[in-house]
Amino acid sequence: MEKNQLSRRNFLEKTALIGAAGLAGISALSSCGKSKKAVDYVFPPLLDKAPDGKRLRAGLVGCGNRGTGAALNFLEAGNDLEIFALADVFEDKVDDCRNKLKKQKVEVPEANCFTGFDAYKKLLETDVDIVILATPPHFRPEMLDACVQAKKNVFMEKPACVDPVGARLIIASARKAENIGLTVITGTQRRHQRDYLETYKHIAAGEIGEITSAKAWWLQSHVWFRTREEGWSDMEYMIRNWNNFCWLCGDHILDTHVHNIDVINWFTGMHPEAAIGFGGRVHRLTGDQYDFFSVDFDYGNGIYSHSMTRQMDGCANTLGEMVMGTEGFTNCKNTIYNLDGTIRWQYEYPKNKDGKSTEVVKISPYVQEHIHLVTAIRTNTPVVEAERTAISTLTAIMGRTSAYTGQKVTWDEMMNSTMRLGPKEYKLGPVDMEFPVPVPGTQQKA
Amino acid sequence: MAKNTIKRKHYLLFIAGGLTAILFLALFKKTIHYTSSDKYCVSCHAHPEADASWKLSVHHNTRSGVSIKCVDCHLPPENQPVRYLVRKAYHGFHDIYVNTTQDVSKINWADKRTPEAAKRFVYEDGCKKCHTNLFPSTLNSLGAESHLKYLRNPESTSCIKCHQGIGHYRGEIGLTVTEEQETAPKEIFKEPAQVTKFVSFEEKIPETAVSFEMVAIPGGTFKMGSPANEPYRQINEGPVREVQLDSFWIAQVEVTWDEYLAFFNATSSQGRKEAEETDNDVDGISGATPPWGAPDQGWGKGTRPAITMSHHAAETYCRWLSSVTGKNYRLPTEAEWEYAARGGTSGPYFFGGSPKDYETDGILHKIFGPDTTVINSYVIYQENSPFKTQPPSKVKANPFGLKNMLGNVAEFCLDYYDPQVYAKYPKGVVKNPRGPRNGTEHVVRGGSYKNSAKDLRVAHRDFTHTIEWLQTDPQIPKSIWWYSDCKSVGFRVVCEYNPNAIQKEKNKNE
Repeated sequence: MEKNQLSRRNFLEKTALIGAAGLAGISALSSCGKSKKAVDYVFPPLLDKAPDGKRLRAGLVGCGNRGTGAALNFLEAGNDLEIFALADVFEDKVDDCRNKLKKQKVEVPEANCFTGFDAYKKLLETDVDIVILATPPHFRPEMLDACVQAKKNVFMEKPACVDPVGARLIIASARKAENIGLTVITGTQRRHQRDYLETYKHIAAGEIGEITSAKAWWLQSHVWFRTREEGWSDMEYMIRNWNNFCWLCGDHILDTHVHNIDVINWFTGMHPEAAIGFGGRVHRLTGDQYDFFSVDFDYGNGIYSHSMTRQMDGCANTLGEMVMGTEGFTNCKNTIYNLDGTIRWQYEYPKNKDGKSTEVVKISPYVQEHIHLVTAIRTNTPVVEAERTAISTLTAIMGRTSAYTGQKVTWDEMMNSTMRLGPKEYKLGPVDMEFPVPVPGTQQKA
Repeated sequence: MAKNTIKRKHYLLFIAGGLTAILFLALFKKTIHYTSSDKYCVSCHAHPEADASWKLSVHHNTRSGVSIKCVDCHLPPENQPVRYLVRKAYHGFHDIYVNTTQDVSKINWADKRTPEAAKRFVYEDGCKKCHTNLFPSTLNSLGAESHLKYLRNPESTSCIKCHQGIGHYRGEIGLTVTEEQETAPKEIFKEPAQVTKFVSFEEKIPETAVSFEMVAIPGGTFKMGSPANEPYRQINEGPVREVQLDSFWIAQVEVTWDEYLAFFNATSSQGRKEAEETDNDVDGISGATPPWGAPDQGWGKGTRPAITMSHHAAETYCRWLSSVTGKNYRLPTEAEWEYAARGGTSGPYFFGGSPKDYETDGILHKIFGPDTTVINSYVIYQENSPFKTQPPSKVKANPFGLKNMLGNVAEFCLDYYDPQVYAKYPKGVVKNPRGPRNGTEHVVRGGSYKNSAKDLRVAHRDFTHTIEWLQTDPQIPKSIWWYSDCKSVGFRVVCEYNPNAIQKEKNKNE
């Protein structure tokens, strides 16, 4: 084994090895212009529909709105696809999901519906080929590992985890999955979005020169929360309000901003070496998380990315990514600019009947990722995306840790950190935990 | 015709040569093969149970019936032929040598069953030749963590560090690693250390989690300064004087950022005021003002020595430390410093070697570079720092058990500086000498991460350069707490030993 297998150089070399699929896509480009560089990246097959083949059964773990949505996205991906089993901690969530699916004429047998913290284990014992993991991210590392041990293919939502211990478990499970030929697709859907992919091809081929800096931001108004209802135990309350507790959600720098961070890691082909950030809590009503973060990620060699994320009403709301190069810059999504701000290239969206751009990609990225999943299984070309999603999630955790502690946090520290969030065991009932909002730094003397 | 015969002869010669080569290679291969068989190994290997314990191990008694041979682990893989043959020859000669020169029955074989010792005769490439998949799907989370760590830094660990006893079964279970124990939150000390006799102790700063080691230095006499023939010696290092000192405690390491920040957090004041009066009242010490920028230069705090504080700040720290611990802390006198740094030795360093051996001047050293193994293990200096302070864990201690006396950062002393002070000391053996009564600059002793070997000598003397060290401080008045332009000086504390006071304390407690 070579030293530093997880270093970015190695990461690049590795992608180069398996990146042959991407080369074909680029040759068309290089004939028409300045781009000379080969692109080392495994591009997903951008099919409109997965090829026909063996009937595939999926089990859904985590029956909330995203879980149910993911299940429907999966069904849309091709023919002969089936939702075969459901699992959730709460019975009402399973029932809700089952009813929603019924409205779409999808029947899940009663015997394949499981509840409780170990519901996913029971689901793994049923005859499913694919498991969709859409629970709060806290549970993901343990569940992914169980899926891999049960030899199931997986679609898992982002973020990959909430702490460094979880990130490393995801990386190890990803390696295990690769070794036995399983497919693990993750819900960082920009990597399955045709406009992003096409823009990436241009950038990777050198169209903006060498990358010099980047920024990523997700500024929005406040997100959902639940106030506690009578009869809810500590655990039930926290899980029903999971998006507001750090041990379950990882804070919004993971929950939403990980998308933007993942794009920057993707376009630069690196992960940062260190982060210095800050953040705070001003308006939130429940839980223990922050309202805003601002993090400076240091990618080394003078390349920095500024990450901002905020959930606050009545403020400037915008989101996106920018990558700056020596010869131009891009919004990563669909446009490449010259240094003087003029447009150099733009993604051509499908046109409507009037010949006007629809401004949306032909296949929703939420479906495209499931087309990739089904195609990988049916054509026996396994893909494991979990490691890179774990790396982007760990990047976000590095930023969060820096903001919570006020310290500079390095990648090495994260890779060695034994930080694990949450209670030791999961059961509905009282939970002996305290939820101080992190305050970095110390008070000066008056 | 004759020409043809010669040709034919040549032809035959070639064939004969070729055949010999083939025969030789075949025999060679056979020999190698034979001497790599289990039977051959066992025929000599005299240490008890090597054979039996291997037969019991999971590497012989496997579920699949595949048996792993001696050389699979104890030689490099055969696909590295040169290394394979070299190591094979080495082990062969080594074993013959040991067998003929030593009594094999007297060798302590158990000692060789450590991961460190095993590095000499177990080849990790051999493990990896067969174990190509470090992430089997059944691997548990501890295994996953350990293997990821191994991949990131193979030098930091080894296969058999965790997987002991897998080649030779001796009744142990396969895995020696256990789940890491959670580190308890750091204890916040309520009381300072209670000292009832003159031994080394761990001082605890009350209301913090910070503690540090104080080493008892028994009094005695020593020769202070350097002889005129010492290489790189400077005039201010002499004349050599016989000095007698009382006992004292001195800190094992230079005051760390952890220690200094405890003081700063407890006493820091709002900001710079008009030239502050220094009050000697122990209660209500007003401490340093907040510094501009990063006083640690971004090198890291923790156990690295605190730097950039002024001599005045260092003295104030000592007064504060005395007040919170109930002891008498202060900066060392110049004589105490040198006595502690020498640790009973009398050469240019407390370790072996002359400054000439370690300096990079001189043609030979310029070409080949000096052999710096020894100096590197004791001193953080120009050659190994690189250009910044390092935590004390990086170096070995002097004979008194003190670290970084000669390097890492230079250290403030209590005395004012006078280049001729040794000559001005009273005649005869000088008892507890002190510097001049008045002055402007204080003594600074010991080299730093910036210095080369000649300035690391125990006798080398330097002093504070207040004006230079405040050159770029943009504020008026300039800070009395922080030097804007000095990054290589810190300090270490001394605790005074007062036998009567300790006796009183002891009586009170009894």
